[in-house]
Amino acid sequence: MRTKILSIAACVCLLFTGCEHDNFDEPNAILSGRVVYEGSPVGVRTNGTQLELWQAGYQLYTKIPVYIAHDGTFSASVFNGHYKLVRLSGAPWEAQTGDTIHIDLKGHAEVDIPVKPYFIIKNESFRKGTGTVTSKFTIDKVAESASVASVNVYLGKNILTDHNKNENEQSLNLSQLVLGQEITMTSLIPESLAGEDFIFVRIGVRSNKSNEYYYTQVQKISLK
Amino acid sequence: MKSKYILISLLVAVTGVFAGCDEDSWLQRDPKDRITDEQLWNDPNMILGLLANYYDRMPQLAGVFNTGTMAEFDDAMWSGHVDQNWHNDLNYGDDYGRYWDYGLIRDINLALEKMEEFGVNLNETQKKQFNAEFRFIRAYIYFELVKRMGGVPLIKTQLIYDNSGDPAPLQEARAKEHEVYDFIYNEIQEIKENFTQTAASKTRSNKYIALALQSRAMLYAGSIAKYNNLMSNPITLPGGEVGIPANMADDYYRKSLAASEAIIANPDYELYNLTGMADGNNFYSLFMDKSAKEIIFAKDFMTGKVHGFTYDNVVRSFRSDIEGSSMLSPSLSFVESFDYLDGSKGTLRDKDISGKYIVYDNLEDIFANKDSRLYGTVVYPGSSFRSQPVSIQAGVATWENGSYVLSVGNLGTIYNSDGKTYTGFDGPRDNDQYVSNTGFYLRKFVSENPQDGVRPSLASNWHTWFRLGEIYLNAAEAAFELNQPEAKDYINTVREEHGGFPGNSIQTLTMDIIRNERRVELAFEDQRYFDLKRWRIADQVWNGLDADANAVVHGLYPYRIYRPGHEDDGKYLFDRMRPTRFKRARFFRPANYYSSIEQRVLDNNPKLVKNPFH
Repeated sequence: MRTKILSIAACVCLLFTGCEHDNFDEPNAILSGRVVYEGSPVGVRTNGTQLELWQAGYQLYTKIPVYIAHDGTFSASVFNGHYKLVRLSGAPWEAQTGDTIHIDLKGHAEVDIPVKPYFIIKNESFRKGTGTVTSKFTIDKVAESASVASVNVYLGKNILTDHNKNENEQSLNLSQLVLGQEITMTSLIPESLAGEDFIFVRIGVRSNKSNEYYYTQVQKISLK
Repeated sequence: MKSKYILISLLVAVTGVFAGCDEDSWLQRDPKDRITDEQLWNDPNMILGLLANYYDRMPQLAGVFNTGTMAEFDDAMWSGHVDQNWHNDLNYGDDYGRYWDYGLIRDINLALEKMEEFGVNLNETQKKQFNAEFRFIRAYIYFELVKRMGGVPLIKTQLIYDNSGDPAPLQEARAKEHEVYDFIYNEIQEIKENFTQTAASKTRSNKYIALALQSRAMLYAGSIAKYNNLMSNPITLPGGEVGIPANMADDYYRKSLAASEAIIANPDYELYNLTGMADGNNFYSLFMDKSAKEIIFAKDFMTGKVHGFTYDNVVRSFRSDIEGSSMLSPSLSFVESFDYLDGSKGTLRDKDISGKYIVYDNLEDIFANKDSRLYGTVVYPGSSFRSQPVSIQAGVATWENGSYVLSVGNLGTIYNSDGKTYTGFDGPRDNDQYVSNTGFYLRKFVSENPQDGVRPSLASNWHTWFRLGEIYLNAAEAAFELNQPEAKDYINTVREEHGGFPGNSIQTLTMDIIRNERRVELAFEDQRYFDLKRWRIADQVWNGLDADANAVVHGLYPYRIYRPGHEDDGKYLFDRMRPTRFKRARFFRPANYYSSIEQRVLDNNPKLVKNPFH
């Protein structure tokens, strides 16, 4: 009888002691923020571009990729500590792999990551006509060395509308492009979208330096 | 009594002394559980066994006859088990195509050095032969490394740690991309005359196999030198680890062409066309007939060393195992890349200009008069397999309110209204597994022998590393880049012997024709991914666009028309469709031109620089 009680007690003890040491804590800190140019967020293709985080001092030294959402925001769940953040190439902005951003993370940190897009789109406005959407916008050059490779207006039924996923794409004839001057483009609403209550519209510009587009923030347009 | 004991013990002691004398034979015997360096490197048979291991480890994008990887580009999609549907929902990661097998390179470096050190009983001819084979395999590995990773550390000797606590002497920086290609070329020049025992071999390297590697590798180097610099934003690293100067292109093209010409001039090799009838069966047999004079270098399989490619890909109703079949479904855009024999583009005529279906009397009629390699590569509706017709029909089209309504049934069902086929035994069926989702099956490399699709006996047809058809196309491309007029003759010869085209079917050669010809001729031979990369068009072809008919794998579903009393009753129409299981358009980013180096490797060797975009 006594041995039984003892062995049960031993088992119970083992159960409790086992908990603490087998498991790692879950990440308890949140790093969030936006990718900005001159204070306004930069739109990208969802999960198409990434920032990378590095933390030195541990045996396993590997990057933590931080994907950027369509509206330029990001968030990562990590541990407290000191991190280095790198802006990679392959994005609609200039790579600054040598210029690291240091982040001290205690609990929660919100950082704005400044980037230098090759081109930006500003003063965009959209107007719904009968079966059409008219977009007005201005394109500015930021990075001196770049030239425009393409400019498109996208219509989609989904907030994640971009160059890869869209229902309609209207390309600008680049000969009509004057940097710094207002451009007007008209897109026909395709049959697949005509029955929707609302659609999303977005403008993208791509430089010859990168395969990723700089996008305006997604705009919701009511059709009904 | 006592003295008797003394005598005996003395006798024993004396005997022991004598027996113990021959130290060499008694104490130093060959171990029975290991092979010594002296034994190994003086025994040609054992060295051959080692070579067999190294040949077996020669790399391919994801291993020889890997069905899954073949389903990750624009030529096909995955129709196998739904658990592996990620082949259809693929995001080429930064590490896609990563390769870093310095273990194999070390094994070869070790073999080269040990054979020199210990191989005293080998004669010079044998030594040269083995040396050349080891170095050929090493050159091939470096080629695989450079085409995936760019310039890599060139390790030509064993690296031995000196226990000093400082690993720096073992840390080698990356060579320039062109230095790796130059290394491959120089190695081939040094070894090519040393193969004296394998002249007729197709599974052990020889002079012409080495030249075939030269033909392919130099073509790659030339096109990277040319096309990388034509990009709006060339992919380079400041140290030249990635990117080759444009002015080196012509020299590489000339080296490639020289090797191709030497192989083509050798009468031991000829394009496979046994009967003189360049029909689809001929092109199919080229890969199954191990006596084919077209094959230059192959990885052989036989009983006991088999592969599951037929099990994976046999047409659904021909499967002889309880599971498997139909995993790779060729895409519509691939089928359409086969030209018509009159030279016109291969777009299938499914609808007329006004958007009305074109109806056909027989299923196979829409594929009539096409390049015969289509039949040799793809099982399409109305064709046959293992001498029996396949049963590919998606469903029935009925005429309702002025247009056709398409309906589908279960596999192998009968349409109630007329008692004829509703949906065939081979589908196609959308959103189903182990049946084609595109309307097409693979024929190339899939065995006609039913037993080859059964586990565990499986198939033993071989995998071709190099064949003359590719060498002709390499020659055509190199000659074209060098503005030599005979470029079109090479390509026309292949089209005539394999495709069944009339002679001189191409009058004016363009790069687009060369590229399409490679897609058609070399499909599923581990070429297209690397071809698109070296031409620097992978990011345009696999552009990730949902609306792109090529980046998104499409299918073509045949329907039997049920329209009693009408002249089209019983005929067939074809409907283009997007398979439900295909989730994400193929999207190749500039970061994919060179795979990322693993972080562990970077950590161990701080001299390595990262590839662009990583």
